[in-house]
Amino acid sequence: MRVLARVIAAALALSATAARADVKFGALFPFSGQLALLGEESARGVEIAVEEINAAGGVQGQKVVLVRGDAVDNNQAIGEARRLISLERVSAIFGSYSSARSIAASQVAEMSGVPYFELGAVAEEVTSRGLQYLYRTNPTAEDMAKLAIEMIVNKVAAGLGKKAADLKIGIIHEDSSYGSSVAGFQKKFAAAAKLDVVTAQGYPASTVDMSSLVLDLKRRGVDVLLQTSYQNDSVLFLQQANEAGFKPGAIIGGGGGYSMQPTADAVGHKVIEGVLDTDFTQYLVNTTYTPGLENFVAVYKKKYGSAPRSGHSLNNYVGAKLILQAVGTVKGFEPDTLIGAVKAIDVKDGITAVGYGLKFGKNNQNERAAMMGMQWQNGKLVTVYPDSAAVAPMEIRK
Amino acid sequence: MDVFLQVLANGIMLGGLFAIVSVGLTLIFGIVKVVNFAHGEFLMIGMYLTYLAVTGLGMHPFAALILVVPVLFLMGALTQRLLIQPLLAAGDHHIQIFATVGLSTALINLALLVFGADIANTPPHGLRMPVEIGPVRVLVGQVVILGVAAALVGALQLFLARTRTGRAIRAVAQNRAAAELMGIDVDRLYALTFGIGAACVGTAAVLIAPLYPTSPNSGTYFVLIAFVVVVLGGLGSIRGAFAGAILIGLIDSFTGFYVSSDMREVAVFGVFLAILILRPSGLFGRQLRQSHVSP
Repeated sequence: MRVLARVIAAALALSATAARADVKFGALFPFSGQLALLGEESARGVEIAVEEINAAGGVQGQKVVLVRGDAVDNNQAIGEARRLISLERVSAIFGSYSSARSIAASQVAEMSGVPYFELGAVAEEVTSRGLQYLYRTNPTAEDMAKLAIEMIVNKVAAGLGKKAADLKIGIIHEDSSYGSSVAGFQKKFAAAAKLDVVTAQGYPASTVDMSSLVLDLKRRGVDVLLQTSYQNDSVLFLQQANEAGFKPGAIIGGGGGYSMQPTADAVGHKVIEGVLDTDFTQYLVNTTYTPGLENFVAVYKKKYGSAPRSGHSLNNYVGAKLILQAVGTVKGFEPDTLIGAVKAIDVKDGITAVGYGLKFGKNNQNERAAMMGMQWQNGKLVTVYPDSAAVAPMEIRK
Repeated sequence: MDVFLQVLANGIMLGGLFAIVSVGLTLIFGIVKVVNFAHGEFLMIGMYLTYLAVTGLGMHPFAALILVVPVLFLMGALTQRLLIQPLLAAGDHHIQIFATVGLSTALINLALLVFGADIANTPPHGLRMPVEIGPVRVLVGQVVILGVAAALVGALQLFLARTRTGRAIRAVAQNRAAAELMGIDVDRLYALTFGIGAACVGTAAVLIAPLYPTSPNSGTYFVLIAFVVVVLGGLGSIRGAFAGAILIGLIDSFTGFYVSSDMREVAVFGVFLAILILRPSGLFGRQLRQSHVSP
C-alpha cells in the first residue's frame, strides 16, 4: 500500500513538473473538409511562430505546446473549442481562418473566460459582438473595401486619365455573407469618396454562367469593376468577360480567388495581366516595409518543403508571434493577465513581416491592420499599393 | 437587337449545358426511380478523369471520351449493384436518398483527399475559341455541348423506342412487378440503366472540363439545376429534360441581363414552381403517367 502511495506521489510530482515546464495553447483551424487547404496554411504560420518563440526560450521560461483542434464545421468548431478548454486546459486559443468557425468557437471561449486570438477571419461580426476575451490581429472585410476605394481614388483614376468622380464603378459579389459584407462596405466608402457606383449586383458563388452579368456591365460602360469572390466565380468572370470583349479600365478583385496562382493559370496569364487585387500581405512585396518576411519564407520552406501557398501563413505567423511575445513580458497565464499583456501591445507599422503594426482598439480589433493592393504582372502577383510596400508601379492601361 | 440576340444565344448555350448534365439523371430518376444525389459527383469525377487524361496522357479532351465513358458506366452500374440494389429490397425509398447523399459526401471528400481543394484546369485545346455567328459570339466548346446534348437525346429516344432492351427498360419503368412476371431481368436492367445514365454524365464531363475549372465541389454547382430540369421536363422524359434545360437557360440569361443578376434564381425557381402548379407532371410528363402507378 505504501509503495503504491509512493508511486502515485511520484507520478503526481512528475506530472506537476511537466505541467510547470509546458504551457498549452490551442490551434483551432479547419484541418479537414472544404476549408482544409487554407486552414492548414494558416496553422502553419502559428506553428512557425511557436517554434521561434520556443527556440528563444519560450514564454515566461516555459515551453509553448500547441494543441490542434479541427474545426471542420461550425458544430465541430464548438466541440473542439470545448475540448481544448476543458480537457486540454489551454491558456488561450489561436484561430481560425474561417469567420463562421471563429464566430461559433469564440462564443464558447468567451463563456469559459479563455482568451481567443483571431489571426485570419475577416468578417465584421467576429469583433462586433462585444466579446471581452476575443482579440483580432488581422485586417477585415471593411479594410478590404476601404483599400479598394482608396486605390481607385489615389491611383486608378489618374492612371485612366480621368477624375475619380467621372468613373463608372461596378460592384459585383458572391451573395453569401462574405461577398455581401465586403460589397456593402465598398458602397459605403465609394459614397463617402463621391464615386459614381452605376450598379451593384450579387450572384450565387456556385453559378455556372456569368455571361448575362458581363453583358449588363458592358452595356452600362463600367470603367472600374470590383468583384468579391471565391475561386470558381473569379475564374468564370474573368474568362467570360474576356470572351465577351468586356475590358474595363481596371478590375479590382477582393482576396479569395484573385490571390491564388491556380486562378491565374486557369484564366491565362495574358487575360489576368493588369488585374488588381486587395488582400492580406503577400510575398512579392518591398521587404524593407516587411522586415522578417524573407526569414519566414526560408523557415517555412525548410519546415514544409515548399513555398507558402498563400499569405495566410504569414499573417497568422505575425499575429501569433506578437501575442506570444507580449505574453512573455508578464507573469502568469491567467486569462486577465493575458488580456492585460495583449492590451499593452503597441507595434508600429513597417516593422513586422506583414507590414502592418498591432494595437488593439475599438471592439478589440487591431486598429493598425491593413490590406495591401496587388496586381498580376507577367503571371505573378506583385504588391503595388501602398507605395511604401510596392515592388512595382501600378500599371493602368488607358 | 444585337444584344438581344446575344442574350438569347447565351441562354441557349446555357440550356445546352444544363441539358447534357441532366440527360443521365432523367434516365436514372425516371426509370430506376432513384433520386441520385451523387449525380453531380459522377460529373466531378468525370471532369477529373478528363483532366488527368488530357494533362497526363496528352490526349485531346474529346479523345478522353473513350476512357471516361466506360469508367463512368462501370461506376454507375456498380453503384446500382452494390449500393442501391440491396436497398431497393428494403422497400423504403427514403433509405436510397440517404445512401446517395452519403455517396455524394464521400466522393467529395475523397476528391479533396486525392486532388486537394484547389482547382484543376483542363487545357482547352481550342474549345474556348469564340465563333461569330452573325452578331452573336459563342465558344466552340459551347456549340459542341449543345450539339452533343441534342444528339444524345435523339439517340436515347431511339434506343428506348426501337430496341428490345430499350422496350424492356420502359416496361420496367412502367410496372416493375409486371415486367418481372414477363421474364425481364429487372436487376440487370437497373444496373444497365444506371450505367447508361452515368455514361451520359461522363460524356457531359468530358465536354465541360475544358470550359470550367474542376474542383471537388464542381458537381454541386450543376446538380441542383439538373434536378429542376428533370422534374420540369417530366420524370423520365428525355425530350422533356432537353426542353426544360433550354427553358431554364433562357430564363436565367434573360433575367440576368434585363432584370438583375440577383434575381436569376428567383426567376428560375419561380417559373419552376408555377409550371409544377399548372402541370404537376411536368412539361412532357403526360405519356409517362403510368409510371407513377408502379410500386
